[in-house]
Amino acid sequence: MDFPVELFINAVIAGLLLGGFYAAVTSGISISFGMLDIVNIAHPAFIIVGSYIAYIFNISLGMDPIIVSVVMAPAFYVLGMMVYQIYYLSFEKRGQESLRGLAFFFGVLFVTEVVLILVYGVDYRYVEAVYIGPTLKFGFIDLPLRMLVPCISALVLFAALHLFITRTFTGRAVMAVSQDQGALQLMAADPVRIKRIAFGLSIATAAVAGALLIVIQPIEPSVGREFIGRVFAICVLGGLGSLPGTLIASILLGVVESITATFYGPSWAPAVAFGFLLLTLAFRPSGLLGR
Amino acid sequence: MASSIAIENVHAAYGAVRVIEDVSLRVDAGETVALLGTNGNGKSTLMKCIMGIVRPQAGRIVADIDGQKHDLVGKTPEQIVDLGIALVPEGRRLFPKLTVEENLLLGAFRKTARAQIKANMDFCFEAFPRLAERKSQLAGSMSGGEQQMLALGRALMQAPRILLVDEPSVGLAPLLVARTIDAIKQLKEHYQLTVLMAEQNFTQAVRIADRGYVIVHGKIAFEGRSADELNNNDLVRQLYMGM
Repeated sequence: MDFPVELFINAVIAGLLLGGFYAAVTSGISISFGMLDIVNIAHPAFIIVGSYIAYIFNISLGMDPIIVSVVMAPAFYVLGMMVYQIYYLSFEKRGQESLRGLAFFFGVLFVTEVVLILVYGVDYRYVEAVYIGPTLKFGFIDLPLRMLVPCISALVLFAALHLFITRTFTGRAVMAVSQDQGALQLMAADPVRIKRIAFGLSIATAAVAGALLIVIQPIEPSVGREFIGRVFAICVLGGLGSLPGTLIASILLGVVESITATFYGPSWAPAVAFGFLLLTLAFRPSGLLGR
Repeated sequence: MASSIAIENVHAAYGAVRVIEDVSLRVDAGETVALLGTNGNGKSTLMKCIMGIVRPQAGRIVADIDGQKHDLVGKTPEQIVDLGIALVPEGRRLFPKLTVEENLLLGAFRKTARAQIKANMDFCFEAFPRLAERKSQLAGSMSGGEQQMLALGRALMQAPRILLVDEPSVGLAPLLVARTIDAIKQLKEHYQLTVLMAEQNFTQAVRIADRGYVIVHGKIAFEGRSADELNNNDLVRQLYMGM
Protein backbone atom coordinates (compact mmCIF):
# COMPACT_ATOMS: atom_id res chain seq x y z
CA MET A 1 0.00 0.00 0.00
CA ASP A 2 1.29 3.45 -0.85
CA PHE A 3 1.90 5.89 1.94
CA PRO A 4 -1.11 8.24 1.95
CA VAL A 5 0.81 11.49 1.49
CA GLU A 6 -2.26 13.68 1.19
CA LEU A 7 -3.78 12.29 4.34
CA PHE A 8 -0.49 12.76 6.16
CA ILE A 9 -0.07 16.39 5.09
CA ASN A 10 -3.63 17.18 6.07
CA ALA A 11 -3.05 15.54 9.45
CA VAL A 12 0.04 17.68 9.98
CA ILE A 13 -1.83 20.84 9.04
CA ALA A 14 -4.75 19.97 11.29
CA GLY A 15 -2.17 19.37 14.03
CA LEU A 16 -0.57 22.77 13.47
CA LEU A 17 -3.95 24.44 13.77
CA LEU A 18 -4.81 22.42 16.87
CA GLY A 19 -1.39 23.23 18.34
CA GLY A 20 -1.98 26.96 17.88
CA PHE A 21 -5.17 26.59 19.90
CA TYR A 22 -3.36 24.57 22.59
CA ALA A 23 -0.91 27.46 22.85
CA ALA A 24 -3.74 29.81 23.79
CA VAL A 25 -5.04 27.36 26.38
CA THR A 26 -1.56 26.84 27.86
CA SER A 27 -0.30 30.43 27.80
CA GLY A 28 -2.06 31.26 31.07
CA ILE A 29 -0.68 28.15 32.79
CA SER A 30 2.75 28.96 31.43
CA ILE A 31 2.58 32.21 33.38
CA SER A 32 0.94 31.00 36.61
CA PHE A 33 2.59 27.58 36.89
CA GLY A 34 5.74 28.24 34.86
CA MET A 35 6.67 31.69 36.12
CA LEU A 36 4.88 32.16 39.43
CA ASP A 37 5.05 28.59 40.79
CA ILE A 38 1.29 28.65 41.35
CA VAL A 39 -0.26 25.29 40.49
CA ASN A 40 -3.52 26.69 39.20
CA ILE A 41 -5.33 23.51 38.21
CA ALA A 42 -8.52 25.56 38.11
CA HIS A 43 -7.27 27.31 34.97
CA PRO A 44 -9.38 25.14 32.63
CA ALA A 45 -12.44 26.07 34.71
CA PHE A 46 -11.79 29.75 33.99
CA ILE A 47 -11.48 28.82 30.32
CA ILE A 48 -14.89 27.14 30.41
CA VAL A 49 -16.36 30.23 32.09
CA GLY A 50 -14.88 32.19 29.18
CA SER A 51 -16.61 29.79 26.79
CA TYR A 52 -19.98 30.26 28.48
CA ILE A 53 -19.66 34.05 28.46
CA ALA A 54 -18.89 33.95 24.73
CA TYR A 55 -21.90 31.63 24.33
CA ILE A 56 -24.30 33.90 26.27
CA PHE A 57 -23.41 37.03 24.31
CA ASN A 58 -23.43 35.09 21.05
CA ILE A 59 -26.86 33.59 21.62
CA SER A 60 -28.57 36.63 23.11
CA LEU A 61 -26.97 39.48 21.15
CA GLY A 62 -25.42 37.67 18.20
CA MET A 63 -21.98 39.04 19.03
CA ASP A 64 -18.81 37.44 17.71
CA PRO A 65 -17.43 35.09 20.40
CA ILE A 66 -13.80 36.14 19.95
CA ILE A 67 -14.61 39.85 20.13
CA VAL A 68 -16.69 39.19 23.26
CA SER A 69 -13.70 37.49 24.84
CA VAL A 70 -11.35 40.38 24.10
CA VAL A 71 -13.84 42.79 25.65
CA MET A 72 -14.26 40.51 28.67
CA ALA A 73 -10.51 40.00 29.17
CA PRO A 74 -10.11 43.05 31.49
CA ALA A 75 -12.87 41.68 33.74
CA PHE A 76 -11.05 38.34 33.87
CA TYR A 77 -7.85 40.23 34.68
CA VAL A 78 -9.51 41.82 37.71
CA LEU A 79 -11.01 38.46 38.71
CA GLY A 80 -7.56 36.89 38.48
CA MET A 81 -6.05 39.59 40.69
CA MET A 82 -8.74 38.96 43.28
CA VAL A 83 -8.20 35.20 43.20
CA TYR A 84 -4.46 35.73 43.63
CA GLN A 85 -5.04 38.08 46.56
CA ILE A 86 -7.14 35.43 48.33
CA TYR A 87 -4.54 32.76 47.52
CA TYR A 88 -1.73 35.03 48.74
CA LEU A 89 -3.36 36.01 52.03
CA SER A 90 -4.67 32.52 52.82
CA PHE A 91 -1.77 30.35 51.69
CA GLU A 92 1.32 31.90 50.16
CA LYS A 93 1.89 34.45 52.92
CA ARG A 94 1.78 31.67 55.50
CA GLY A 95 3.98 29.35 53.46
CA GLN A 96 1.23 26.78 52.98
CA GLU A 97 0.81 27.13 49.26
CA SER A 98 2.02 23.72 48.17
CA LEU A 99 -0.68 21.41 49.46
CA ARG A 100 -3.44 23.68 50.72
CA GLY A 101 -3.05 25.98 47.75
CA LEU A 102 -3.53 22.99 45.47
CA ALA A 103 -6.65 22.02 47.39
CA PHE A 104 -7.89 25.59 47.05
CA PHE A 105 -7.63 25.50 43.26
CA PHE A 106 -9.22 22.03 43.18
CA GLY A 107 -12.10 23.58 45.08
CA VAL A 108 -12.36 26.47 42.65
CA LEU A 109 -12.39 23.99 39.78
CA PHE A 110 -15.24 21.89 41.17
CA VAL A 111 -17.32 24.78 42.47
CA THR A 112 -17.13 26.52 39.10
CA GLU A 113 -18.07 23.34 37.28
CA VAL A 114 -21.02 22.61 39.58
CA VAL A 115 -22.32 26.16 39.35
CA LEU A 116 -22.20 25.98 35.55
CA ILE A 117 -24.03 22.64 35.61
CA LEU A 118 -26.71 24.03 37.94
CA VAL A 119 -27.24 27.09 35.77
CA TYR A 120 -26.82 25.70 32.25
CA GLY A 121 -27.18 21.96 32.67
CA VAL A 122 -24.99 19.38 31.00
CA ASP A 123 -26.16 19.95 27.43
CA TYR A 124 -23.53 20.76 24.85
CA ARG A 125 -23.56 24.44 23.87
CA TYR A 126 -22.15 25.98 20.74
CA VAL A 127 -21.83 29.38 19.12
CA GLU A 128 -22.57 30.69 15.65
CA ALA A 129 -20.18 32.75 13.56
CA VAL A 130 -19.49 33.18 9.86
CA TYR A 131 -16.20 31.31 10.09
CA ILE A 132 -17.72 28.20 11.62
CA GLY A 133 -18.49 25.91 8.72
CA PRO A 134 -16.57 27.07 5.63
CA THR A 135 -13.27 25.46 4.70
CA LEU A 136 -10.52 26.95 2.56
CA LYS A 137 -9.22 24.47 0.00
CA PHE A 138 -5.80 24.62 -1.65
CA GLY A 139 -5.63 21.57 -3.87
CA PHE A 140 -5.89 18.62 -1.52
CA ILE A 141 -5.12 20.77 1.54
CA ASP A 142 -8.05 21.62 3.77
CA LEU A 143 -8.02 24.63 6.07
CA PRO A 144 -11.23 24.68 8.09
CA LEU A 145 -11.85 28.28 9.23
CA ARG A 146 -13.29 26.90 12.46
CA MET A 147 -9.69 25.88 13.28
CA LEU A 148 -7.77 28.55 11.38
CA VAL A 149 -9.39 31.57 13.04
CA PRO A 150 -8.73 30.31 16.60
CA CYS A 151 -5.18 29.39 15.64
CA ILE A 152 -4.41 32.87 14.30
CA SER A 153 -6.12 34.52 17.28
CA ALA A 154 -4.05 32.34 19.60
CA LEU A 155 -0.82 33.33 17.87
CA VAL A 156 -1.71 37.02 18.20
CA LEU A 157 -2.47 36.53 21.90
CA PHE A 158 0.79 34.67 22.31
CA ALA A 159 2.86 37.32 20.56
CA ALA A 160 1.31 40.04 22.73
CA LEU A 161 2.08 38.12 25.91
CA HIS A 162 5.63 37.43 24.80
CA LEU A 163 6.24 41.10 24.02
CA PHE A 164 4.83 42.10 27.39
CA ILE A 165 7.00 39.61 29.29
CA THR A 166 10.25 40.34 27.48
CA ARG A 167 9.98 44.05 26.70
CA THR A 168 8.39 45.71 29.70
CA PHE A 169 9.78 46.31 33.16
CA THR A 170 6.83 44.58 34.79
CA GLY A 171 7.19 41.64 32.40
CA ARG A 172 10.84 41.13 33.24
CA ALA A 173 9.96 41.34 36.93
CA VAL A 174 7.43 38.54 36.32
CA MET A 175 10.23 36.36 34.95
CA ALA A 176 12.36 37.13 38.00
CA VAL A 177 9.78 36.86 40.75
CA SER A 178 9.98 33.13 41.43
CA GLN A 179 13.81 33.18 41.38
CA ASP A 180 14.44 35.60 44.25
CA GLN A 181 11.69 37.75 45.73
CA GLY A 182 14.07 39.51 48.13
CA ALA A 183 16.35 40.54 45.30
CA LEU A 184 13.34 41.82 43.39
CA GLN A 185 12.49 44.08 46.31
CA LEU A 186 16.01 45.47 46.05
CA MET A 187 15.09 46.46 42.48
CA ALA A 188 12.21 48.54 43.92
CA ALA A 189 9.56 46.05 42.72
CA ASP A 190 6.91 44.70 45.08
CA PRO A 191 6.84 40.92 44.47
CA VAL A 192 3.23 40.51 45.59
CA ARG A 193 2.08 43.24 43.23
CA ILE A 194 4.05 41.69 40.37
CA LYS A 195 2.51 38.29 41.02
CA ARG A 196 -0.97 39.78 41.28
CA ILE A 197 -0.57 41.44 37.87
CA ALA A 198 0.87 38.28 36.31
CA PHE A 199 -1.87 36.04 37.71
CA GLY A 200 -4.49 38.53 36.53
CA LEU A 201 -2.99 38.30 33.05
CA SER A 202 -2.97 34.53 33.11
CA ILE A 203 -6.70 34.50 33.91
CA ALA A 204 -7.32 37.15 31.24
CA THR A 205 -5.93 34.72 28.66
CA ALA A 206 -8.55 32.19 29.83
CA ALA A 207 -11.31 34.49 28.54
CA VAL A 208 -9.83 34.36 25.06
CA ALA A 209 -8.94 30.67 25.20
CA GLY A 210 -12.52 29.92 26.26
CA ALA A 211 -13.98 31.69 23.25
CA LEU A 212 -11.56 29.88 20.94
CA LEU A 213 -12.55 26.56 22.51
CA ILE A 214 -16.26 27.03 21.91
CA VAL A 215 -15.53 28.05 18.31
CA ILE A 216 -13.65 24.78 17.79
CA GLN A 217 -16.04 22.42 19.57
CA PRO A 218 -19.33 22.42 21.47
CA ILE A 219 -18.77 22.49 25.21
CA GLU A 220 -20.38 21.42 28.45
CA PRO A 221 -19.19 22.31 31.98
CA SER A 222 -16.78 19.38 32.49
CA VAL A 223 -14.97 19.67 29.14
CA GLY A 224 -12.24 21.70 30.88
CA ARG A 225 -11.04 18.64 32.75
CA GLU A 226 -9.82 17.07 29.52
CA PHE A 227 -7.33 19.87 29.26
CA ILE A 228 -5.83 19.76 32.76
CA GLY A 229 -3.31 17.02 32.02
CA ARG A 230 -2.56 18.27 28.57
CA VAL A 231 -1.83 21.90 29.47
CA PHE A 232 0.51 21.01 32.33
CA ALA A 233 2.24 18.50 30.07
CA ILE A 234 2.75 21.14 27.39
CA CYS A 235 4.06 23.55 29.97
CA VAL A 236 6.63 21.07 31.27
CA LEU A 237 7.52 19.89 27.77
CA GLY A 238 8.22 23.43 26.60
CA GLY A 239 10.28 24.29 29.65
CA LEU A 240 8.86 26.04 32.70
CA GLY A 241 8.71 29.78 32.37
CA SER A 242 9.46 29.84 28.65
CA LEU A 243 6.65 31.19 26.46
CA PRO A 244 8.44 30.34 23.19
CA GLY A 245 8.99 26.83 24.56
CA THR A 246 5.30 26.57 25.37
CA LEU A 247 4.40 27.56 21.82
CA ILE A 248 6.73 24.99 20.28
CA ALA A 249 5.52 22.27 22.66
CA SER A 250 1.86 23.11 21.93
CA ILE A 251 2.40 22.78 18.20
CA LEU A 252 4.43 19.59 18.60
CA LEU A 253 1.75 18.03 20.74
CA GLY A 254 -0.96 19.17 18.35
CA VAL A 255 0.82 17.60 15.37
CA VAL A 256 1.66 14.36 17.20
CA GLU A 257 -1.93 13.98 18.40
CA SER A 258 -3.36 14.74 15.01
CA ILE A 259 -1.13 12.26 13.16
CA THR A 260 -1.84 9.58 15.73
CA ALA A 261 -5.56 10.23 15.58
CA THR A 262 -5.55 10.08 11.77
CA PHE A 263 -3.57 6.87 11.40
CA TYR A 264 -4.25 4.91 14.57
CA GLY A 265 -7.51 6.34 15.90
CA PRO A 266 -8.30 9.19 18.29
CA SER A 267 -8.12 7.07 21.44
CA TRP A 268 -4.37 6.62 20.96
CA ALA A 269 -3.69 10.35 20.68
CA PRO A 270 -3.28 11.18 24.39
CA ALA A 271 -1.13 8.09 25.01
CA VAL A 272 1.29 8.98 22.24
CA ALA A 273 1.37 12.62 23.31
CA PHE A 274 2.21 11.74 26.90
CA GLY A 275 4.73 9.15 25.77
CA PHE A 276 6.38 11.95 23.86
CA LEU A 277 6.43 14.04 27.03
CA LEU A 278 8.07 11.24 29.03
CA LEU A 279 10.74 10.77 26.37
CA THR A 280 11.52 14.47 26.29
CA LEU A 281 11.80 14.61 30.05
CA ALA A 282 14.08 11.59 30.08
CA PHE A 283 16.56 13.24 27.74
CA ARG A 284 15.98 16.90 28.54
CA PRO A 285 14.51 17.31 32.03
CA SER A 286 14.32 21.11 31.81
CA GLY A 287 12.04 20.88 28.78
CA LEU A 288 12.64 22.01 25.21
CA LEU A 289 13.56 25.62 25.94
CA GLY A 290 13.83 25.52 29.73
CA ARG A 291 16.59 27.65 31.19
CA MET B 1 23.76 67.97 45.34
CA ALA B 2 24.91 65.04 47.31
CA SER B 3 23.47 62.50 49.64
CA SER B 4 24.30 61.16 53.05
CA ILE B 5 23.04 58.75 55.63
CA ALA B 6 22.98 58.91 59.42
CA ILE B 7 22.33 56.00 61.77
CA GLU B 8 21.55 56.93 65.37
CA ASN B 9 21.48 54.52 68.31
CA VAL B 10 20.13 51.59 66.34
CA HIS B 11 19.32 48.32 68.10
CA ALA B 12 18.35 45.19 66.22
CA ALA B 13 17.72 41.54 67.09
CA TYR B 14 16.60 38.27 65.58
CA GLY B 15 14.11 37.04 68.15
CA ALA B 16 15.94 37.02 71.46
CA VAL B 17 19.38 37.24 69.87
CA ARG B 18 20.67 40.78 69.96
CA VAL B 19 22.73 41.51 66.88
CA ILE B 20 23.13 45.28 66.79
CA GLU B 21 23.51 47.28 69.97
CA ASP B 22 23.34 51.04 70.05
CA VAL B 23 25.14 51.60 66.78
CA SER B 24 25.57 55.14 65.52
CA LEU B 25 27.42 56.00 62.38
CA ARG B 26 27.20 58.39 59.50
CA VAL B 27 28.29 58.47 55.91
CA ASP B 28 28.67 62.03 54.72
CA ALA B 29 28.06 63.26 51.22
CA GLY B 30 30.57 61.90 48.74
CA GLU B 31 32.39 59.73 51.26
CA THR B 32 33.37 56.10 51.04
CA VAL B 33 33.02 54.61 54.49
CA ALA B 34 34.13 51.09 55.36
CA LEU B 35 32.24 49.01 57.89
CA LEU B 36 34.83 46.53 59.06
CA GLY B 37 34.45 43.41 61.10
CA THR B 38 34.85 39.68 60.92
CA ASN B 39 31.97 37.29 60.30
CA GLY B 40 28.96 37.37 62.56
CA ASN B 41 29.49 40.81 64.06
CA GLY B 42 26.41 42.42 62.59
CA LYS B 43 27.63 44.13 59.43
CA SER B 44 25.03 42.56 57.17
CA THR B 45 22.28 43.07 59.71
CA LEU B 46 23.08 46.77 59.84
CA MET B 47 22.89 46.90 56.03
CA LYS B 48 19.53 45.13 56.20
CA CYS B 49 18.31 47.66 58.78
CA ILE B 50 19.15 50.50 56.41
CA MET B 51 17.33 48.79 53.54
CA GLY B 52 14.22 48.01 55.57
CA ILE B 53 14.74 44.25 55.35
CA VAL B 54 15.28 44.00 59.12
CA ARG B 55 13.31 46.39 61.29
CA PRO B 56 15.38 47.98 64.09
CA GLN B 57 13.93 47.72 67.61
CA ALA B 58 15.06 51.23 68.37
CA GLY B 59 16.97 54.09 66.85
CA ARG B 60 16.75 56.29 63.82
CA ILE B 61 18.07 55.93 60.29
CA VAL B 62 17.84 59.09 58.24
CA ALA B 63 18.90 59.47 54.64
CA ASP B 64 19.43 62.81 53.02
CA ILE B 65 18.90 62.39 49.28
CA ASP B 66 19.89 65.51 47.36
CA GLY B 67 18.75 67.78 50.18
CA GLN B 68 15.57 65.88 51.08
CA LYS B 69 15.50 64.12 54.43
CA HIS B 70 13.82 60.72 54.69
CA ASP B 71 13.27 58.63 57.80
CA LEU B 72 14.00 55.08 56.64
CA VAL B 73 12.71 53.10 59.63
CA GLY B 74 9.28 51.67 58.82
CA LYS B 75 9.68 51.95 55.06
CA THR B 76 9.65 48.84 52.86
CA PRO B 77 12.78 47.85 50.92
CA GLU B 78 11.02 48.85 47.68
CA GLN B 79 10.35 52.36 49.00
CA ILE B 80 13.92 52.74 50.21
CA VAL B 81 15.39 51.59 46.91
CA ASP B 82 13.03 53.97 45.15
CA LEU B 83 14.53 56.88 47.09
CA GLY B 84 17.87 56.20 45.43
CA ILE B 85 19.59 53.84 47.85
CA ALA B 86 20.97 50.69 46.25
CA LEU B 87 22.29 47.60 48.01
CA VAL B 88 24.63 45.09 46.43
CA PRO B 89 23.65 42.25 48.76
CA GLU B 90 25.84 39.62 50.30
CA GLY B 91 25.95 36.63 47.97
CA ARG B 92 25.05 38.95 45.06
CA ARG B 93 21.48 37.69 44.74
CA LEU B 94 21.37 37.81 40.94
CA PHE B 95 18.50 36.28 39.00
CA PRO B 96 20.35 33.14 37.88
CA LYS B 97 17.96 32.12 35.12
CA LEU B 98 17.84 35.53 33.51
CA THR B 99 20.45 36.79 31.10
CA VAL B 100 23.06 39.40 31.97
CA GLU B 101 21.11 41.99 30.02
CA GLU B 102 17.80 41.08 31.68
CA ASN B 103 19.43 41.37 35.10
CA LEU B 104 20.76 44.81 34.24
CA LEU B 105 17.40 45.96 32.88
CA LEU B 106 15.69 44.83 36.07
CA GLY B 107 18.08 47.11 37.91
CA ALA B 108 16.45 50.00 36.10
CA PHE B 109 12.97 49.07 37.36
CA ARG B 110 12.55 52.21 39.46
CA LYS B 111 11.01 55.12 37.59
CA THR B 112 13.93 57.55 38.00
CA ALA B 113 16.33 54.97 36.59
CA ARG B 114 14.30 54.24 33.45
CA ALA B 115 15.14 57.57 31.85
CA GLN B 116 18.85 56.89 32.14
CA ILE B 117 18.98 53.29 30.93
CA LYS B 118 21.01 53.93 27.80
CA ALA B 119 23.71 56.03 29.48
CA ASN B 120 23.99 53.71 32.47
CA MET B 121 24.09 50.57 30.34
CA ASP B 122 26.84 52.10 28.17
CA PHE B 123 28.88 53.01 31.22
CA CYS B 124 28.30 49.59 32.70
CA PHE B 125 29.62 47.85 29.59
CA GLU B 126 32.54 50.26 29.45
CA ALA B 127 33.46 49.61 33.07
CA PHE B 128 32.86 45.86 32.78
CA PRO B 129 33.56 44.82 29.18
CA ARG B 130 33.06 41.20 30.22
CA LEU B 131 29.36 41.89 30.75
CA ALA B 132 29.02 43.26 27.23
CA GLU B 133 30.57 40.08 25.83
CA ARG B 134 28.22 37.92 27.87
CA LYS B 135 25.08 39.96 27.44
CA SER B 136 22.86 37.04 26.54
CA GLN B 137 24.41 34.48 28.87
CA LEU B 138 22.45 33.34 31.92
CA ALA B 139 23.70 35.05 35.07
CA GLY B 140 23.83 31.77 36.99
CA SER B 141 26.31 30.28 34.54
CA MET B 142 28.98 32.94 35.07
CA SER B 143 32.02 32.82 37.32
CA GLY B 144 32.01 34.41 40.77
CA GLY B 145 34.01 37.42 39.63
CA GLU B 146 31.74 38.06 36.67
CA GLN B 147 28.69 37.70 38.89
CA GLN B 148 30.07 40.29 41.29
CA MET B 149 30.60 42.68 38.36
CA LEU B 150 27.03 42.03 37.26
CA ALA B 151 25.74 42.69 40.77
CA LEU B 152 27.57 46.03 40.80
CA GLY B 153 26.36 46.79 37.29
CA ARG B 154 22.79 46.00 38.25
CA ALA B 155 23.07 48.35 41.22
CA LEU B 156 24.41 51.17 39.08
CA MET B 157 21.51 50.67 36.65
CA GLN B 158 19.32 51.77 39.56
CA ALA B 159 20.89 55.23 39.23
CA PRO B 160 21.41 55.38 43.00
CA ARG B 161 22.63 58.31 45.06
CA ILE B 162 23.81 56.13 47.92
CA LEU B 163 25.42 52.75 47.29
CA LEU B 164 25.63 50.08 49.98
CA VAL B 165 27.89 47.13 49.26
CA ASP B 166 27.77 44.08 51.50
CA GLU B 167 30.86 41.87 51.50
CA PRO B 168 31.88 42.24 47.87
CA SER B 169 34.95 40.06 48.40
CA VAL B 170 33.18 36.91 49.60
CA GLY B 171 34.08 33.87 47.53
CA LEU B 172 36.43 35.69 45.18
CA ALA B 173 40.10 35.06 44.43
CA PRO B 174 42.45 37.79 45.77
CA LEU B 175 43.05 39.35 42.36
CA LEU B 176 39.30 39.59 41.75
CA VAL B 177 38.77 41.12 45.19
CA ALA B 178 41.20 43.92 44.29
CA ARG B 179 39.42 44.42 40.96
CA THR B 180 36.02 44.54 42.58
CA ILE B 181 37.19 47.14 45.09
CA ASP B 182 38.67 49.20 42.25
CA ALA B 183 35.39 48.94 40.38
CA ILE B 184 33.48 50.30 43.37
CA LYS B 185 35.83 53.26 43.47
CA GLN B 186 35.38 53.82 39.74
CA LEU B 187 31.57 53.78 40.01
CA LYS B 188 31.68 56.07 42.99
CA GLU B 189 33.77 58.65 41.20
CA HIS B 190 31.82 58.51 37.97
CA TYR B 191 28.42 58.90 39.61
CA GLN B 192 29.57 60.92 42.65
CA LEU B 193 28.03 58.37 44.93
CA THR B 194 28.08 58.13 48.67
CA VAL B 195 29.29 54.63 49.56
CA LEU B 196 29.01 52.44 52.63
CA MET B 197 30.86 49.16 52.25
CA ALA B 198 30.77 46.26 54.69
CA GLU B 199 33.87 44.16 54.32
CA GLN B 200 36.05 41.73 56.19
CA ASN B 201 39.00 42.13 53.89
CA PHE B 202 40.55 45.00 55.79
CA THR B 203 43.53 45.79 53.55
CA GLN B 204 41.42 45.91 50.41
CA ALA B 205 38.62 47.95 51.93
CA VAL B 206 40.95 50.52 53.45
CA ARG B 207 42.50 51.16 50.03
CA ILE B 208 39.45 53.09 48.86
CA ALA B 209 37.85 54.15 52.17
CA ASP B 210 37.94 57.71 53.45
CA ARG B 211 37.00 56.59 56.93
CA GLY B 212 35.84 53.47 58.67
CA TYR B 213 34.18 51.84 61.62
CA VAL B 214 35.13 48.56 63.22
CA ILE B 215 32.14 46.62 64.48
CA VAL B 216 32.63 43.92 67.11
CA HIS B 217 29.76 41.89 68.62
CA GLY B 218 27.22 44.35 67.28
CA LYS B 219 28.85 47.45 68.71
CA ILE B 220 31.06 50.07 67.14
CA ALA B 221 34.42 49.24 68.73
CA PHE B 222 36.48 51.83 66.94
CA GLU B 223 35.95 54.77 64.64
CA GLY B 224 38.82 55.64 62.35
CA ARG B 225 38.57 59.19 61.06
CA SER B 226 40.98 58.45 58.26
CA ALA B 227 42.47 55.46 56.50
CA ASP B 228 45.70 56.11 58.43
CA GLU B 229 43.95 55.98 61.74
CA LEU B 230 42.48 52.63 60.78
CA ASN B 231 45.81 51.29 59.64
CA ASN B 232 47.54 52.27 62.85
CA ASN B 233 44.95 51.19 65.37
CA ASP B 234 45.76 48.51 67.90
CA LEU B 235 42.34 46.87 67.81
CA VAL B 236 42.48 46.60 64.05
CA ARG B 237 45.96 45.09 64.23
CA GLN B 238 44.74 42.62 66.79
CA LEU B 239 41.66 41.61 64.78
CA TYR B 240 43.10 41.52 61.33
CA MET B 241 46.81 41.06 61.56
CA GLY B 242 47.14 38.91 64.63
CA MET B 243 49.53 41.36 66.24
